Amino acid sequence: MAQILQYLANGLVYSSIIILGSIGLSLVYSIADFANFAHGDTMTVGAYGAFVAFGLFGGMGGSLLGLPLGFYVSLLVGMALAAAIAVLTHLAVYEPLDTDSIGLLITSIGVAFVYRASLMGVFGTDFLQYDITRSGPIPFLLENFDVAITQRDVAIVVSAAVLVGSLHFLLQRTTLGRKMRATADNPDLARVSGIRTDRVILVMWVIGSALAAAGGVFLALYSQLDPRIGFGILLVVFAAVIVGGIGSVYGAMLGGLLIGMIHELTPLLGDVGIPIGTAYAPAIAFVIMVAVLLVKPRGIAGDLT
Amino acid sequence: MSQPILTVEGVDSGYGEVQVLDDLSLTLEEGEIACLVGPNGAGKSTVLKTVFGMLEPWTGSVRLGDREIGGMAPEDIVRIGVGYVPQTENVFGSLTIDENLRMGGVARDGGLEEVVTELYDRFPILDEKRTAKAKTLSGGQRQVLAFARALVMEPDVLLIDEPSAGLAPNTAAEVFEDVVTVNELGTSILMVEQNAREGLGISDRGFVLDQGSVEFEGDAASLLDDPEVSRLYLGGESRH
Repeated sequence: MAQILQYLANGLVYSSIIILGSIGLSLVYSIADFANFAHGDTMTVGAYGAFVAFGLFGGMGGSLLGLPLGFYVSLLVGMALAAAIAVLTHLAVYEPLDTDSIGLLITSIGVAFVYRASLMGVFGTDFLQYDITRSGPIPFLLENFDVAITQRDVAIVVSAAVLVGSLHFLLQRTTLGRKMRATADNPDLARVSGIRTDRVILVMWVIGSALAAAGGVFLALYSQLDPRIGFGILLVVFAAVIVGGIGSVYGAMLGGLLIGMIHELTPLLGDVGIPIGTAYAPAIAFVIMVAVLLVKPRGIAGDLT
Repeated sequence: MSQPILTVEGVDSGYGEVQVLDDLSLTLEEGEIACLVGPNGAGKSTVLKTVFGMLEPWTGSVRLGDREIGGMAPEDIVRIGVGYVPQTENVFGSLTIDENLRMGGVARDGGLEEVVTELYDRFPILDEKRTAKAKTLSGGQRQVLAFARALVMEPDVLLIDEPSAGLAPNTAAEVFEDVVTVNELGTSILMVEQNAREGLGISDRGFVLDQGSVEFEGDAASLLDDPEVSRLYLGGESRH
C-alpha cells in the first residue's frame, strides 16, 4: 500500500511536468494549427535560462518549500526567456512562411535543432545541476505513511498547480482568455467579430512557451539538466496531448495527468510479477494512448471543449 | 437619390487563382434590405466575403459611404460599422451564449452591458440559455445567436449569408422575421439567400447573380414578377 502511495506521489510530480509541457503544445496546435516539434526544446531553453539566472539570483535570502527564493525568481526568468524566444521564432520563422501545417511541423523540427545546437554550443553536453542542496524526504510523511516525498517534489506540484490554476482563471474569467478560446474555436469568426487574432496568437506563444519553460525547469530540478531533456520528453508530452484530445487545453491537462501517472506506476507491474521493467514506462504510456484512442478517437476531452 | 451606404463597383475577386466575381457592381441604399439571389456558384457568398475583407478585390472599389474599404481586414471593417453573419460555423460552439455575445462586442468602446441586455430582451431564447454552450443550440437558435453576435456592434450595415440554410421552413420564416426586425431598427441589410422567393419576399430590392456578374436588378417585387427571372432563376413561373 505504501508502495502504491509512493508511485502515485512520483506520478503526481512527473504529471505536473508533463502537464506544463502539454498545455503549450496543445495551445499551439489549436491556435497556430501545427504540431510544434520545437516545444520540447523550448522546455530546455527555459531550463537553461533559469540555470543562468540562478547563478545571479541563487544567493537571495529566504526559501519556500525547501527551495531558495532565488530559484523562483530564476524560474520566472527562464519562463520569460523561453516566451521571448518563442515569439521571436514565430515572427521571424513561422509567420512569414506561406505553408501548411505539415510545412510548419517540418520547420519546427529544424527550429528544435537550432535551439538544441545553440544550447550545446554555449553550455556543452554535460549534465548540469541547479546548485541547490537536496534535502531528504519529509520526515512526517515518511514516519506516518512510509512515503518518501521531498519538499522539492511538493514545490514542483504546488508551482505547477498555481500556474495551471492561473491559466484556468485567465481562460475562463478574462476577456483575453475568452478571445483565446474564441480564436482556437473558429479563427475566421474571431476576426469577423473584431478580435485581432494576430495578437492572440502572440499571447498564445507567450503562455504556451512560458509554461513549457516551467516544465523544463522542474524536469531539470527533478532529475538533471542537459540539452536533450526537452526533446527526450517531447514524445511523452505528445502522447498526453493526443490522449487528452489534441487542441483542447483541458484535455492536455487530463492527458498529462494520465500519462504521467501511468509512466510512474509502471513499477507496479514488476511488483505483481509481470516482468516488464521501468525502462518500458514510455512504451506503456503509448500503449495506453492507443487503447484510449481506439475507444475515444478524439481523445478524452475531444468532445468537451 | 442620396448616396448609397454601400457601393461595390467593377469588382473582380476570387479564391487564389480562381476568379469568381467578374466586373460586379451593386449598391445598398440606407435603410433597405437587398437580396442577392442566383444559382449555386454564381458568387453570392463571394460578394459578401469581398465586401467584408475576407477576400481582397482584385480590381474595382468597395465603399462604405464614400470611404474605400476594399482590401481592409475584417477586424477593421467591423469597427467602422459593418457586420457579417457567415453561413456556416457562425457561432463559437465551445463558448457559452453569453461569451459569444461578448466576443461580438470586443471591438466596442463601451456600452457593452447595455447592448447585451437589450439583445437578451429582444431574443428571449438567448436569455434563457445564457450559460449553455452554443453548440447545444438548435439550428434556428444558432442562427439567432449568430445575428445577435453581429448586432452587438450595432452595425450600420449587416451582411447576412443564407440565413435560412439548413433550417426547417417554419424556422426559416422566424429567422426572416428577425431579419426584418433588425432592419426596422435601422440596420441596412445585404443578404444572400438560396430560397430566392422567400428572400426577395422580405427585401426592398434584389440582385440576380450569374457567373459572377449581376444579370438582373430592381425592386424585389418586380423581380419576383419578371417572367424571365422567374423562369431562369426562381425555379418556375412568376407568382402571377
